[in-house]
Amino acid sequence: MRLARTAVGWLIALAVIVYGALLFRSMVASVPHSKAFGSVFIANGWLTVTLSLVGAVMVLLAYSLIYTALANRARGRSRTPWPLFRQSVTHLGLWILIAVVYYPVLQVVGASFDPRNNLFSFRQIKTTNLLVRAKVLPDLSQASLENYAKLIEGVLVPAWQWVLIAVLAALLIGALGLGLGRHWSPGAHRLERWQNRTLLTFAVLLFGGLMALSPSQFTGMSTESHFVLWARNTLLLSGATGMLAVLLTASAGYAFARFRFPGRYGMLMVFVFIQMFPGFLALIAIYYLLSTLDLINTFTGLLLAYSGGVISFGTWVFKGYVESLSPSLEEAAMIDGASRFQAFLRVLLPLSAPMFVFIFLLQFVGTYSEFVLASLVLTGVKSWTVGIGLYNFTTGSFSTRWGVFAAASVLGSLPILAVFYGFQRYFVSGYTAGAVKE
Amino acid sequence: MHRHPPGFRGLLLALATLTAAVGLAVVVGVLLFWLVRVWVHDLPNYLLLLTTGLALLPMLVLFRRRFPFLSDWYYLLPATLFLLAFTVYPIVLTMALAFTNFSGKNYGRPDRATETAVTFVAPDTLRFPSDPARALQCGDSCVGAQLEVYRGNDRARQTVTGEGSTTLTLNRAPAFATSTQAGQLYVARISNYHFIGFRNFTFILSNAATSLWPVFRWNVVFAAGSVLLTALMGLILGVVLNDAKLRLRNFYRTALIISWALPNIITIQMWNALLNQQFGAVNRLLGLLGIYSIPWLTQTDWAKLGIILVNLWLGFPFMMTATLGALSTIPNELYESAQIDGASPWQAFRGITLPLVRTAFTPVLLTSFAFNFNNFNLIYLLLPQGGPAIPGGMATANSTDILISWAYKTAFRSEGGSAYGLGSAIALIIFVVTVGISLINFNLTGAFKEEAR
Repeated sequence: MRLARTAVGWLIALAVIVYGALLFRSMVASVPHSKAFGSVFIANGWLTVTLSLVGAVMVLLAYSLIYTALANRARGRSRTPWPLFRQSVTHLGLWILIAVVYYPVLQVVGASFDPRNNLFSFRQIKTTNLLVRAKVLPDLSQASLENYAKLIEGVLVPAWQWVLIAVLAALLIGALGLGLGRHWSPGAHRLERWQNRTLLTFAVLLFGGLMALSPSQFTGMSTESHFVLWARNTLLLSGATGMLAVLLTASAGYAFARFRFPGRYGMLMVFVFIQMFPGFLALIAIYYLLSTLDLINTFTGLLLAYSGGVISFGTWVFKGYVESLSPSLEEAAMIDGASRFQAFLRVLLPLSAPMFVFIFLLQFVGTYSEFVLASLVLTGVKSWTVGIGLYNFTTGSFSTRWGVFAAASVLGSLPILAVFYGFQRYFVSGYTAGAVKE
Repeated sequence: MHRHPPGFRGLLLALATLTAAVGLAVVVGVLLFWLVRVWVHDLPNYLLLLTTGLALLPMLVLFRRRFPFLSDWYYLLPATLFLLAFTVYPIVLTMALAFTNFSGKNYGRPDRATETAVTFVAPDTLRFPSDPARALQCGDSCVGAQLEVYRGNDRARQTVTGEGSTTLTLNRAPAFATSTQAGQLYVARISNYHFIGFRNFTFILSNAATSLWPVFRWNVVFAAGSVLLTALMGLILGVVLNDAKLRLRNFYRTALIISWALPNIITIQMWNALLNQQFGAVNRLLGLLGIYSIPWLTQTDWAKLGIILVNLWLGFPFMMTATLGALSTIPNELYESAQIDGASPWQAFRGITLPLVRTAFTPVLLTSFAFNFNNFNLIYLLLPQGGPAIPGGMATANSTDILISWAYKTAFRSEGGSAYGLGSAIALIIFVVTVGISLINFNLTGAFKEEAR
């Protein structure tokens, strides 16, 4: 019986593969014989690449054989060369993978420094470097910051903001210096503490400075000159949504984890199933509600619209987290005369900080990338988010705004990149602590 | 904790008292709002939320004195109130709209295309220059239609009760009919949406062969294909990078999650440019390999493959991290003892790694499927038009559209004609499918088994 099921599984897999292969063949046959404009076409280039890959593997094989043989002779032992060979081939594969994964990033970063600012470029580049001539590597011979300059065109900066910028730059350099110091003298915990403090000050000042920006500072005529304002809007919205998620879900998750009132299971079901309705499909109704409340084109309105979507997941995750904590601490506090609410406030909440960071970050990152509700509720250029601004570039005359789009993409990605790499362990542990329960 | 009345009766009691408290707070809040508005004009309506919130606080204290067990429920109250106001209410409204012909044309406002200059014959009778039924586009008869009558800043909404060859009788005279104010009198028909039963659904089903079915099929293939490919790649990378003897493995782990760490609202739009057939960076790279320019984004099958490949780029880091997380729970001694017992690496993989990863991966795969099933950002931002049209299909359902982008375009894009009712009907279909997937999810993972005690 089990054998039959396995056989059926393999047969289905085989059928899918055969079907896919046939489909792919017809797709390949349908590709017109045209070449990308301004590019270099090398007939049978794949053959060269494959052969050089095989060559590289051969070199690695030879290296492994020789190195192992020499090492064996020098130390008088007999090891096989295969582990070394396997590891070198793994490294080769991983580096190729990294090249492929980073290729689009490289293209966009390169385009952001290219002042010619044109996606539809027929231009040939005169250079001996094949990869640059094929425009696979960006041509940086004319690199400039022109695209970035367009993003801050016409922004009036009062003196105190210049001071703030200088302080921020100093803090960033200081943090980098401390990081280098840590690199050279590992184990210096004092350096690490100072680096964290510097980075925290940097983040707080940056956030505060951005919030203090006023739309009247942006006097540029073009759409893209409002980029910094969009960044402020996005950070404000994402931060507020994250805070709201923590505030709303903490007590609810706690109640589900600790209390046993009748209807608890039913309420839990309601919380989880409501989330399955794709939130933004109720868009028409949400829009109607917000316009009744005079909240169209306000961040408060958009925040309220997001609030529905943040509750279910956060509650569920926090409930899982509280269940993993022993109730004995709260019980001890209550024996000492604290009320249930005091125990929740004073004992449990401080213990839950890592989970709150996770819930906050998840909503922060999620809101940063939200498109539909934001595009519907925020109607004026000055209240757009980064994502809507970029969408405006791609739907307008994209080809001539490609460089500006690239520059805005690079700058717009930095906050999330920093958050993600700075708090990587929270993302990983958060998923395992609450969401994925064994 | 306080003694809670047990069982279903207790639940009903709690819900009833809470509803009473919130209801009272709303009444008091509205009264407060009105009171303030007597003194301060031009109050924005959202202050209603504040006054209601203010009224709720003393209400809760009062109710707790009488029903001490309610304090348990108060922990749930903030989340529940927000859910009710900003999720449940819109959902209920959407469900109701799915059975109406609500659209850009029928949205309860005066239809300016029917604006006609008229005069009063009597305070409740209007004279038209020609046949009123034609001027107001009422169809056969205007009786029962709603009109807006306006002159200058005065306006009134009336219902038609009688019809002559060039006159209409209103249910009552507008308040300004007797005033002597000068100015032209106009009338326009209010085009209201109304209940149309299952007509939206029968419309969708009657076009199922060219719209619903192809879109649904591609939706499932897209979600399943994305999940399988990302999981496969994540699994392989996870196993490779879990090898403690591999040098630089922490570097590789950090470097390879880049596409997860970038905001997808930016990266997806970036791919739109990179996949351009004539100018895209992807085809330039393929040109070096001797491959002709591939019509990503413009030819149905290639566009679909492009979407899945972009999703692979976006999604594999999460799967890789999930695999690494699952693998890190396996103690190394297991492998060592397997090695001592003479098991080959492949046997160790099949015997130790796979079973463990399978249990840890089931919920990840199903969640990922549910997420991708409604992955609007990828589909809509990569191909805003939804790729080539399906022959004979609706203008809003193109070949790379999934259900959710179809619904969005039906309701909010010009080619859909702002058909809010129809869009809501599609949304309901998505809801049913999503709940189905989630039920399977819970069944397979047993997420609720321990809760149901």
